[in-house]
Amino acid sequence: MRFDTVIIGGGLTGMLAGITLQKAGQKTAIISTGQNALHFFSGSFESIKEPSQRIVELFAEAGVRLHYSPGVRLLPLGTFKESALALEDVDIFPTPKFARKVLIVNFSGYHDFFTSFLADGLEKQGMTCRLRFLSLPELETLQQSPSEMRSVQIARVMDRVWEKVVQEVRVLLKDEDAVVLPQVFGLQDTSVPGRIRQGIPAHVVFAGTLPPSVPGIRTLILLKQRYQLLGGTYLMGDEVIRAHTHEGVVHSVATRNLDNHYIEAANFILSTGGYFSKGLISNPFQVLEPVFGLDVEYKEDRNQWYNPTFKEDQPYMHFGVKADENLHALKDGKPLENLFVAGSILGGNRPEFGFAAGQCIKTALFAADQILKK
Amino acid sequence: MNANEFDVIIIGGGITGAGTQRDCAMRGLRTLLIERSDIATGATGRNHGLLHSGARYAVNDPESAQECIRENMILRRIASHCIDETDGLFITLPEDDLAYQQTFVDACRNAGISAEIIDPDLARRMEPSVNPDLIGAVKVPDGSVDPFRLCAANMLDAKMHGGQVRLHTEVTGFIKEGDTIKGVHTRNRQTGEEVDYYAPVTVNACGIWGQHIAEMAGVKVGMFPAKGALLIFAHRVNNLVINRCRKPSNADILVPGDTVCIIGTTSTRIPFEECDTVAVTPDEVTLLITEGAKLAPSLSSTRILRAYAGVRPLVSADDDPTGRNISRGIVCLDHETRDGLKGFITITGGKLMTYRLMAEIATDAVCRKLGVEKACQTADIPLPGSEEQSYEAVAQKIWESPTTAQKAAAARMGTRAARIRTGDKRDDALICECEEVSVGEIKAAIDRLEVSTLTDLRRRTRVGMGTCQGEFCACRAAGLLVKAHGCVERERADLEDFLQERWKGNFPIGWGDTLREAEYTQWVYKLVLGL
Repeated sequence: MRFDTVIIGGGLTGMLAGITLQKAGQKTAIISTGQNALHFFSGSFESIKEPSQRIVELFAEAGVRLHYSPGVRLLPLGTFKESALALEDVDIFPTPKFARKVLIVNFSGYHDFFTSFLADGLEKQGMTCRLRFLSLPELETLQQSPSEMRSVQIARVMDRVWEKVVQEVRVLLKDEDAVVLPQVFGLQDTSVPGRIRQGIPAHVVFAGTLPPSVPGIRTLILLKQRYQLLGGTYLMGDEVIRAHTHEGVVHSVATRNLDNHYIEAANFILSTGGYFSKGLISNPFQVLEPVFGLDVEYKEDRNQWYNPTFKEDQPYMHFGVKADENLHALKDGKPLENLFVAGSILGGNRPEFGFAAGQCIKTALFAADQILKK
Repeated sequence: MNANEFDVIIIGGGITGAGTQRDCAMRGLRTLLIERSDIATGATGRNHGLLHSGARYAVNDPESAQECIRENMILRRIASHCIDETDGLFITLPEDDLAYQQTFVDACRNAGISAEIIDPDLARRMEPSVNPDLIGAVKVPDGSVDPFRLCAANMLDAKMHGGQVRLHTEVTGFIKEGDTIKGVHTRNRQTGEEVDYYAPVTVNACGIWGQHIAEMAGVKVGMFPAKGALLIFAHRVNNLVINRCRKPSNADILVPGDTVCIIGTTSTRIPFEECDTVAVTPDEVTLLITEGAKLAPSLSSTRILRAYAGVRPLVSADDDPTGRNISRGIVCLDHETRDGLKGFITITGGKLMTYRLMAEIATDAVCRKLGVEKACQTADIPLPGSEEQSYEAVAQKIWESPTTAQKAAAARMGTRAARIRTGDKRDDALICECEEVSVGEIKAAIDRLEVSTLTDLRRRTRVGMGTCQGEFCACRAAGLLVKAHGCVERERADLEDFLQERWKGNFPIGWGDTLREAEYTQWVYKLVLGL
């Protein structure tokens, strides 16, 4: 099998790079283990402060609607954080006080939505809050099993019965000018958040829940559909087990499922993520990149990996693969000319790319552009 | 009589204090227990959780060995829901002296401990995780004990006998009249409230911190803090306790407990000032893993869940200020005869295993002072929850066809699990999926077991003790605590404390899957939830 570009890692980074390259006429493949950070995506690209037509369009073509409006967004524990670019159903307000009176609605028996923390946070901003719980018979089946009342399971039900939520909320609503609901809408039917907003005569805010993130998984589904529609080959549930590199050039990789076939390509992008998705692995002595054995920036003294205070910045989270200014991966100090590093596997301090989801977007586009420039 | 007057005040909410309160309360005394933090926060909750057969002490300390086996048999009867009757092996490895085995077995038998030499092949079959190179094995009646559960059950029984408990309350001074202790000044560390309590007798049951309390009362008790570090592995690798059959040394006991197993321990003298801040060093981690793998080789590739350390309350003998002659036995000091200070008793030394005996000795001393003649019953009457011997039977009685979560609850709560059967499906919802802890069980703990923080809740229910280390359950449980206590601000800080406390035990072993989990937790709380 031969491709123009093979992308290892199918999260936000890999998918955006793949879409960009497919759009430019390349033949690409994405190899994905299936675990990625979109499963706990907040819905906002924090580090992107400036409007970017290119990014908004790229997402829009996949059916993922973003909005750009610098301000603050509401977090699940009732605090606010600066944001500018976010998914359409993730509100960004000019100031934290987004309403006078707020009705916070949760589903009875759902523990992953933190109503009392939200109410406390909103009241601190001078808003009056009222908490109400909905008991929908449609959710009773989930409650038969003690571990089914989770975001994605509820979202699957909500795709069918969201209109009932609208009706119930309309009954509950008194003089509130805003309603806060858990982010469990629009998993498959992406029109649902918008239609809920239309149906309720108050401003509707969807606030985050414990992962899995419904907006994150929706984004993943849409990007993957778009990539496949463009003709990309998405190898799901597979992982690279060997790579063949010769004189600074990567020739091919072999995967667990296609062990006998070498997947060859002119260029490769490594976007396997951090520790969580096993882009980086660690043992008591070192931090490693397992696919190519690339150079990793980390501290040799393990005591310097951590800050003993949980809430402080943790040095280990900045470790990652070394790359030159054009994102060529470094191995034994030398750049591999056709292997690009993108996303959260990238090590070191690279402020030009931002951080978190913002870094994923920027490095994905940068790496794809480098390949297309060749 | 004034509401702040009692027959006896017990300082220290470890197992010794809780056990002493239970014994005193069962003998009809009006008791108050004061603890500056939560129950089982000192050495009680920071050891192996080994239900010693006594075999470990048989050769060098026959007296301790005899105490252990007697208490071992008693705890099986009175604390069945806190105990796992696993049995244990003492294995001889090729580098150990096989001749020691006979000395060991003879000493065990002299102490009344059943010790049976078994064929290495049989040992490998009985315990598949054991080092297959072993050349000798002896089977003894070791087991494991959940110290948190044991402590909570003692406190609960004391309360059921009229006892009162003030947690998160520290003693700031003693009320002294002449040569007599009349009571204590206290301060609630959460509310700042200051209250005086009065009793003719006060018991100092503060473990290593007893030195400080004694000082405050004006007497000297010389403690010799010895730190012990341990590691918790994320799986229950072994089903039998595995010990080395040699002179007791570092990291030579592997204890299975609930869903995990624990290797330990080290022993390092530390200055008294460091007792509150003991931490596990990288060298200790390396030693524990290396030595642990000699007992069960699979430990070298098993995920480590946490590292922690405790401080043994060793006491120096009165006539030996240098500390060379350190006793591991039980020490009960009547400060009236020892120092001329009336109304004050110190109970210290000893082991988790012998807490009941320590409590009996202390209570006998209290009763002598008060002129109360009532026999100790703690060896005969089961703790609340332990009225049945098997948790399967308990679960069956309550639910007919119990789920695994209900069985887990029955194992943790014993017969008290009947309280969480409400018929409301919403109470069955799981808050902690690793340890299968339901809403109902958490409500029951908040209701009866003096829970004010998430960490308190963890000690009583295992919420957050599993493989995710509180990643998901912490904020779910925080929601329930807000409902119970009604203060979001306090709960926000509590959630932070809980995560900090989890991280403290994670970062010393922060690599591999532990680091993966930690990264995930950092992301979820900082970037997603916005703590």
